[in-house]
Amino acid sequence: MSVTPNSIMLRGIIAFCSLLLTAIVHAAPIVEIEIREHLFYPAEIEIPADTKVKLVIINQDSSAEEFESYELNREKVIPGGSKGIIFIGPLNPGVYPFFGEFFPKTAQGKVIVKEAK
Amino acid sequence: MLLNAVIIVLREVIEASLIISVFLAFSQAINRSRLWLLLGLALGIVAAVVYALNIITVSQWFEGVGQEVVNASIHLLLYLVLLLFMVLASSRQLSQYQNILIAIMVMGVVLASSREGSEIILYIHGFVSIPELFKSVILGGAIGAGIGISVGVFFYYLLVNLSTEKGMKLGYILILLVASSMVSQAIQLLIQADWIISQYPLWDTSNWISERSVTGQLLYALIGYESTPTPIQVMAYLSSIIIMVTLSSLAYFGSRKLNS
Repeated sequence: MSVTPNSIMLRGIIAFCSLLLTAIVHAAPIVEIEIREHLFYPAEIEIPADTKVKLVIINQDSSAEEFESYELNREKVIPGGSKGIIFIGPLNPGVYPFFGEFFPKTAQGKVIVKEAK
Repeated sequence: MLLNAVIIVLREVIEASLIISVFLAFSQAINRSRLWLLLGLALGIVAAVVYALNIITVSQWFEGVGQEVVNASIHLLLYLVLLLFMVLASSRQLSQYQNILIAIMVMGVVLASSREGSEIILYIHGFVSIPELFKSVILGGAIGAGIGISVGVFFYYLLVNLSTEKGMKLGYILILLVASSMVSQAIQLLIQADWIISQYPLWDTSNWISERSVTGQLLYALIGYESTPTPIQVMAYLSSIIIMVTLSSLAYFGSRKLNS
């Protein structure tokens, strides 16, 4: 294959695209949790160990809820009808319970951190 | 639900209550009227309502971490206000700074009551549409606020009835603890927002004192207790103590030398 300016440019574009792709792949994985009728859906999420994860919490109720976890050291008010972002991790493998502080009787969940394969 | 409301409101009220008790004892010591407290509380409540009304907009700032950034800023600003208070109050030329100190105390009360107030408003507002729970939430909230205010009243009377020297020491320690807890909480919020790198905890004391326990909750309110703090958080906490002690000691001993 002869090296023409065109193919150099093409290689450049491919290299750039793959770089961009790696950047996207390496960005924090997103996990969505919904709050409905003061319950978390899903109530259990599984994430890999040693990885930063972006939790997107969507509160479908009209009342505010506070996402709270002593084990994760996280605490954030999610107003009714809105969504909130919380970054968690990197974490060691284990179980990290979380709850809705405003409705703790029903709103309970846990993050299960598993060793990445 | 009742007990939960007690704890949530108590936790929010207690920090502001402690700060106000020290400020009140201080203004008593320099014989000033307490009007500054009314001004501070009134402005703080207005700020809390404005914040609570705009919480959804604020949350969307900075790509969804606006709440963390705003709350961390309030915490850090409160630390600076308390630092300035301690430095000026430690100075021997105190009489020159009285008006500045009053302004600082107003600012401190506004900052301390606005964030906590907005969280209480958001919490209680959620129950307006659930009449069967509303009553117990209001009752629990009132009890929580009552306990929180009582703690402040207790410390106020303790401070004004101790000898001047002992009272000053106790007030100093209370402000030091609350102020450094503000810094630790601010760092925690910035980690949550991914503005500061998230690290593995430096230690885990959750088996000794769980943050769920009453002791843990009280320690959290008093000294910002975390059972699993990260290295950056611990460093920031210690630095904020060292900075406050150093600067207020410099003000105390420096101004003394000038006088002699």
